[in-house]
Amino acid sequence: MTFDSNAFLIIFTGSLIAVSCGFLGVFMMLRKMSMTGDAISHAVLPGIVIGYFVSGSQRSLEVIIGAGLLGILATLMIDWLRKKARVQLDASIGITFTLLFAVGIILINLLAYKVDLDQECVLYGEIAYLPIDSWITKNGMNLGPRITWLAGLNFFFVVGFIYLLFKELILTSFDENFSSVMGIPSKGINLALMSIVSYTTVSSFESVGAILVVALLVVPPVTAFLWTKSLMPLLKLTGGLGILIALLGYYLAYWFDSSIAGMMVTVAGIFFGISVLIHSKKPIWLIGTSKSPQPFEI
Amino acid sequence: MITQVENPILEIHDLTVSYDQNPVLWNVDLSLPAGNLVGILGPNGAGKSTLIKAIMGLIAPTSGFVKVFDKPLNEVRSRISYVPQRESVDWNFPASVLDVVMMGTYGKLGLFRRPGKKEKDLAMKSLEQVGMSGFVGRQISELSGGQQQRVFIARALAQEADLYLMDEPFAGVDMSTETAIFHLLQEMTAAGKTVIVVHHDIHSAMNFFDWLIMLNLHLVASGPKELVMNEDMLRKTYGGKLNLLTRVTDLIRQKDFNPLKS
Repeated sequence: MTFDSNAFLIIFTGSLIAVSCGFLGVFMMLRKMSMTGDAISHAVLPGIVIGYFVSGSQRSLEVIIGAGLLGILATLMIDWLRKKARVQLDASIGITFTLLFAVGIILINLLAYKVDLDQECVLYGEIAYLPIDSWITKNGMNLGPRITWLAGLNFFFVVGFIYLLFKELILTSFDENFSSVMGIPSKGINLALMSIVSYTTVSSFESVGAILVVALLVVPPVTAFLWTKSLMPLLKLTGGLGILIALLGYYLAYWFDSSIAGMMVTVAGIFFGISVLIHSKKPIWLIGTSKSPQPFEI
Repeated sequence: MITQVENPILEIHDLTVSYDQNPVLWNVDLSLPAGNLVGILGPNGAGKSTLIKAIMGLIAPTSGFVKVFDKPLNEVRSRISYVPQRESVDWNFPASVLDVVMMGTYGKLGLFRRPGKKEKDLAMKSLEQVGMSGFVGRQISELSGGQQQRVFIARALAQEADLYLMDEPFAGVDMSTETAIFHLLQEMTAAGKTVIVVHHDIHSAMNFFDWLIMLNLHLVASGPKELVMNEDMLRKTYGGKLNLLTRVTDLIRQKDFNPLKS
């Protein structure tokens, strides 16, 4: 098989997005907030519309800032509904993101004369067109596909964020009260995580879309968690799954002549299904490796 | 029967806490001396956990204030440590025993800095103190309840604080471990640290604590054990379960009472 640069670019970009989402998804899962990622991916729509309206371009910084702010707003709203209005978590997620998404759709209609935004593009995305959408500088230099650059930048931010705040993320995910008592700003860490999830969602919109980005946030971490109970292997396995999903998803989509993003998530689902099947049949001698407790003396 | 002290390490002034307009703690006003092993006693739903959560600022009081080391809470957070109830976290979390104990050192490290050798040594020492050295690399999901509790105590020790607040640290811990940990806490208070423990076993409370706080929505008593531990106070604290308690206090008065030997 000859080297196909387009195929490589699509797989490479898909892997960057899948790994970024997977890493963030691990922490969302550990905080039992996987569905908050879903909420955020829809709730950012009004922010995108307003950012687009202000800047006049779909690819501006304002769009990302708008989306980030709406992501934080959605997080705060869910939190407020849950703690102050005493609505259950699942219900408050359902209320928040549908409401904000509806506001976004109304805004698209109201501002239709100015904002040429396709809801389908936001919801589904299309990674296959990536090679023809190049980033060309004012001098006319072609720097390669724009979406690959976006995904690369996003990957860099996600890895940097997790590297810098690793211990805070772990501690606030495991025991929020303990971290508050020590003076570690657990609310601030939470909002920072939600902002970077919003940013990742927005920068993945054009390639995989708002619905499929949720699958990439949720499925690989949950699959990996079936196989390992320690954190570093969990992150590595999630990353590996992300790359494998992008690779297999591309070739299956090519084979069936179908949507790449859709196929990526189908592959992820199949991996998850197989893992569950294997685990439910796992013999006892593979599960129990714990030794008998030792006597306690001081 | 409330004893107030000079230069208190912890001062609680007119504290009232409510959930949804329902007060669960009324007008608590007490002060504690440094270097004591303090027990908080009371029946279920008496507000024991609420009291220590309010001390740490995890619950905002409806009225009143708390001062620790004669300063507002936010200025002294690094000197306060907390052992939460075991059920408050998900033990399926992907972390090893060492990972969890290391968390105790994060407060002093500050943002962005990573734990190094010094922090690791501290964590190992703390694990040794609670007799869990053999479990360093074990995943926390594979621990028994009593072992989880000891990991939490080790995490608090690794924090090297001056004031320790422990919420039912002996729930699910066997008798010999409980005694061993009580001796460890006594060593800590002898070194000048203050340890406040929410507890429900009157017998061991009688043996190990220096100072007792008795709570039943209101503050019933706060003072040195010898002054506070009497039938009248226990009756006021536990109310309805009087018959059983009278028997228990009678037994406690017989000096060498040990439920395992007799």
